[in-house]
Amino acid sequence: MSHSEKAAIFNKDEAKVNWHDKALWFVREKRDTSAQKVQGWEELRNIASGIKANVLSNLDNYLIEFEANAQKNGIKVHWASNAEDHNKIVHEIVAKNKAKKVVKSKSMLTEECHLNPYLEAKGIEVIDTDLGERIVQLAKEPPSHIVLPAIHKTKEEVDELFQEHLGTKPSNGNPEYLTNEARKHLRDKFLKADVAITGVNFAVAETGGFVVCTNEGNADMGAHLAKVHIACMGIEKIIPKEEHLGVFLRLLARSATGQPITTYSSHFNKPAEGNELHIVIVDNGRTEQLSREEFRSSLSCIRCGACMNTCPIYRRSGGHSYDATIPGPIGAILSPGKDLTKHSSLPFASTLCGSCSNVCPVKINIHEQLYAWRQIIVKDVKQPLIKKTILKIAGVVLSNRILYNIGGKSARFMLKYAPRFMVYSKLNAWGKARELPEIKNQSFDDWYKVKRKNNG
Amino acid sequence: MGREQILKSIKQNKPELVAVPEIDLNVFTEDLDVLETFKSNVPLVGGQFVEVDQIENLESEIKRLYPNASKIVSALDDSIVKGTVAITKGTDPHSLETIDLAIVKGEFGVAENGSVWISEEAFPIRVLPFITNDLVLVVSKNDVCDTMHSAYKKIAARNRTFGLFISGPSKTADIEQCLVIGAQGAMSLTVVLV
Repeated sequence: MSHSEKAAIFNKDEAKVNWHDKALWFVREKRDTSAQKVQGWEELRNIASGIKANVLSNLDNYLIEFEANAQKNGIKVHWASNAEDHNKIVHEIVAKNKAKKVVKSKSMLTEECHLNPYLEAKGIEVIDTDLGERIVQLAKEPPSHIVLPAIHKTKEEVDELFQEHLGTKPSNGNPEYLTNEARKHLRDKFLKADVAITGVNFAVAETGGFVVCTNEGNADMGAHLAKVHIACMGIEKIIPKEEHLGVFLRLLARSATGQPITTYSSHFNKPAEGNELHIVIVDNGRTEQLSREEFRSSLSCIRCGACMNTCPIYRRSGGHSYDATIPGPIGAILSPGKDLTKHSSLPFASTLCGSCSNVCPVKINIHEQLYAWRQIIVKDVKQPLIKKTILKIAGVVLSNRILYNIGGKSARFMLKYAPRFMVYSKLNAWGKARELPEIKNQSFDDWYKVKRKNNG
Repeated sequence: MGREQILKSIKQNKPELVAVPEIDLNVFTEDLDVLETFKSNVPLVGGQFVEVDQIENLESEIKRLYPNASKIVSALDDSIVKGTVAITKGTDPHSLETIDLAIVKGEFGVAENGSVWISEEAFPIRVLPFITNDLVLVVSKNDVCDTMHSAYKKIAARNRTFGLFISGPSKTADIEQCLVIGAQGAMSLTVVLV
C-alpha cells in the first residue's frame, strides 16, 4: 500500500486526525519557544551540522578510535554488517549469560533490525520499557513516532489495553493512574531482568564512552539493575569529542519536545564492577547511504523528531502511513535508500514546504533530498498510469502558451458553471473535503495587463 | 567479519575530509545572573528548589521536606546528613527497591536547563538516584555554571566511569501528551542549594 492509501485509512477518524495534528503542532511550538530562549541558537545548529559533516568524512577513523578507547575501559565492542548479524550478536550475549528476561529502552536501531521477534522466537522475553513503547508493544504495533511512540493512541485505547494486559481498573483513560500502573508493572520487570538493552544517542570517539538520554529513567533502571548491558548503535552515532556533547545536548531535547534537556543524560564509560558492558556497532545499509552524495547528510540525523512534528503531511497522515521504522520527512529520505520499490511513495508524501529543513537541529536539507529522490524514483520505479498521463499532458500544456490559455479559460468556465457533482467528483482531488475558492473570470495574465493599462 | 567490511566500505564511500568546526563560545555568552537562572529553571523542569543558608541546617530541612521517609540512604558524609540505611559498593542494587529517599551530592548545577551533574564517585550504587522514590541533590551555590559548554569543561578531567545530568524528576507524556511526573525513575527531585 502506498503512503496516500494508508493515510486515507488514518483519515477516516476525523476527530482523531485533528487531535493528532494539533498535538504535534503544539510540540513544534514548544520547540520554537525553547529554541528562541537560547542565545546563538542558529550558530549552534551550524556547528552541529559542521561536526556531523566532519564525522561522516572521517567515520572509519573515529570508529577505530572509539573502539580502542572503549576497550581500554573494559567495554566489549562488536560489529554487525546487517540486521541479522546484529540480532545474532545480541542473542549470543544473552545466551552466554543464560538470560531469559530482557528489558529494552528506546532504540530505533533494534526496531529497524526487528530484534524483538528474533529474541522472542528463541524463547526470550523482551519488554520495552519506555511507556509509549510498552503501549505499542502491548498493542502489537510499531511505534508511529520516534520520540512519541504512542502518539496515535487515545487515552481510552491505552486504558483498554492496560485492562486487558496489566489487569488495571477502568479509569476513562486517566493518564496519572495508567502511568502509575505501568510504573509498577515495569518495576517488576526491571527487578527480574537478566540483560538490559539500550540505544545510544551519542558515542564519543575521544573517550570511548556513550550517552543515553531518557525522560522516564527507564534506560538507567534497566542498565544498572541487570548484570549485562548491551548498547546498540548505528555507525553514524559517533561524535569526535566529549565537548561536542555540549552542542548536541543543547539541541536535542529542545528540538524534540521543547525541554531544555532530557531528565536523564547518562554518560557510560566503564561497566560497574562485576558487570558486563557491550556495544554493538551496526551498519545495515548506512555505508551505502554514505556513498550517495546527495543523500549522505541524512546520516547526520540525531533522531529528535522535530521534522515530524512540523510536517503538515505527517501530522495529518500519522506515522504508520509511512510503513517504515523511521516515519516522517527524515524517514522518507532514509527509507528509499533501503528499499526503493517498497518506499517509493514516501518522497511524494510532502508539500516540499521546507519546514522540516528549517527546524532540523543539524540542518539536513530534508526537503531538497525529498525532491532529489523523486527524480530517481520516477526513472526507476513504475509510476501509476493516471499520474504519468496527467503529468505528460501537463507537460505539453505548460510548454505551449495557446494551449495553456485555453486550458485556463475552460477550467475557470467549468468550475464556475458545471454542476456541483461534477466539480466535486473523484477526478478533482482538490475538491475533496474542502470548498474551492470563488472562481474569477480573469487569468492572472489578463488581470495584470488591465491593471498596467489603467495605471498608465 | 563485520568490522573490516564496515571500515572498508566507509573508506570507499566517505566524502573528502571536512574540518571540525571551531567553536567560538562568545556567540553563546549571555549577560545573566547564573544563580537566579538556575533557581528559576529547576521548577520549570519539574524539580523543587530549596535554599539553606548553612550546611548545619541541611538535615532538618530534609526532614521537613520529607517527614514520612523512613528508609533513607544518605550518600553525604554522616556528619552532615545521616541516613537510616547504609549501603556500600557491595550492596545488591535490587535491594534498594524499597528506598524512600536518597540524598546525593551534586557536583554542580547548569543554569540553562536546571540540571545537576552527579557522578558515580558521589554514590556507591549506580541505580540509587533512579530507583529511590524521592531524590535530593545537594549543590553548593558556588558550583553553578551557565551553559552545557561550561559544564563539559568542568567534567573534562574527571575519572570517567558513570555520571549524568539530572534535570527534574522522571516524567512522561506518552499518554495523549499529558505530562505525568513519576515514570520509571524517582517520583520527585529536590535541589538544595547550600
